Amino acid sequence: MSAPAAVSFESLKDQLIEYSRRSGALVVGVADADAFGDAPEGFRPGDLLPQARSVVVLGGAPPRAGDWISPVVELQETMGTSDRINTLGRKVAHFIEDRLGYYALFVPPGVNRGERPFLSLMLAAELAGCGSRSLAGPILHPTYGMLYFTAIITTAALPVDGPCAESACPAPACRDMWQSEGTVPCVKTCPIDDGGCLGGEIADGRFAAPRYDRARCTTRVYNHWIPGFQKGLELALATDDKEKRKMILYGSAFTRTLWSITYSASNQAQCFECMRVCPVGLEYRTKK
Amino acid sequence: MTFSYLDPEIYKKYRDAVIELSNSIQVDINEHLPPGQRRRGLSDREIAERLQLDEATVTEIRAIAERDYYDLAEWDRAIEFKRKACREYVENRIGLKRKKP
Repeated sequence: MSAPAAVSFESLKDQLIEYSRRSGALVVGVADADAFGDAPEGFRPGDLLPQARSVVVLGGAPPRAGDWISPVVELQETMGTSDRINTLGRKVAHFIEDRLGYYALFVPPGVNRGERPFLSLMLAAELAGCGSRSLAGPILHPTYGMLYFTAIITTAALPVDGPCAESACPAPACRDMWQSEGTVPCVKTCPIDDGGCLGGEIADGRFAAPRYDRARCTTRVYNHWIPGFQKGLELALATDDKEKRKMILYGSAFTRTLWSITYSASNQAQCFECMRVCPVGLEYRTKK
Repeated sequence: MTFSYLDPEIYKKYRDAVIELSNSIQVDINEHLPPGQRRRGLSDREIAERLQLDEATVTEIRAIAERDYYDLAEWDRAIEFKRKACREYVENRIGLKRKKP
């Protein structure tokens, strides 16, 4: 009996892409596991999985078009969709191990010590060509705009896609706005010099000099989540008056925060305003 | 990880330096440069070497400082910001008008 024919990594990648798309991924890409030099040591693929060769990135599960145009901000704040992409990531990790025969590590969506992600999904998505960085921060896919991402580190040396050649940000509409108004939609909505999180400019058709206040962004994205809970609890513990403490702990802000925490992973992202006004992906999220 | 906690005096002494050296407030990170050529915030280990602290202390200072940076009023402002921004977007894009009181 002859030995089975060697299966090429190209063929394995094709199988993986087909399975991922069939399972719900909108975009699939592969990054080189050794290309994560921008990540802190201890938070690179090889730190999580010995002999890591590549990182498979899946993107999808964006909010629906209807979510984006609801005037009730609490709706989108309550009904995150990132949990769907995590389910997909676990499924593809099983596929790599069971069907392709290589180690596969699903990168958990939570945080490791020091509130650092186990692996930067933004960096992984960028290195896998699933989108490009934006002035507002999130990785933007040229067709879909903002997506949620999941990553699987594997010992399979899959062919690497590498970063996108073209950046989706700034969009042509943003370049036009910069010419006429000296600002762009995301910065206009959340300006760092006027109580917001974002700053930057357009130079030579590209975004430049970006500024980002992550601490303030936390107050908006994790408004009613663990950071908000910690702030509320701190206030309650520092209040000597029993009746005042009751007002805090039974009040609507603290109560909504506790509800949000019980929704867990489906309720973490609570601010979308810089992405709501972003023209990248607007056609995809425009319906009749 | 335990619930032993950082000396508040150590925290106060190094808070600003740790925040500045980390990725907490990102200024002029040239995002359009290829990976590997960007200026990034230092890792906790790198900050520890620079400030002559141990890495675990830096991690703890950074985690606390990121939460401590804004007071509770900023959380309240966040709620109003989101409601206003969302409503304005829908009004401008979809033409939804506010109901008269």
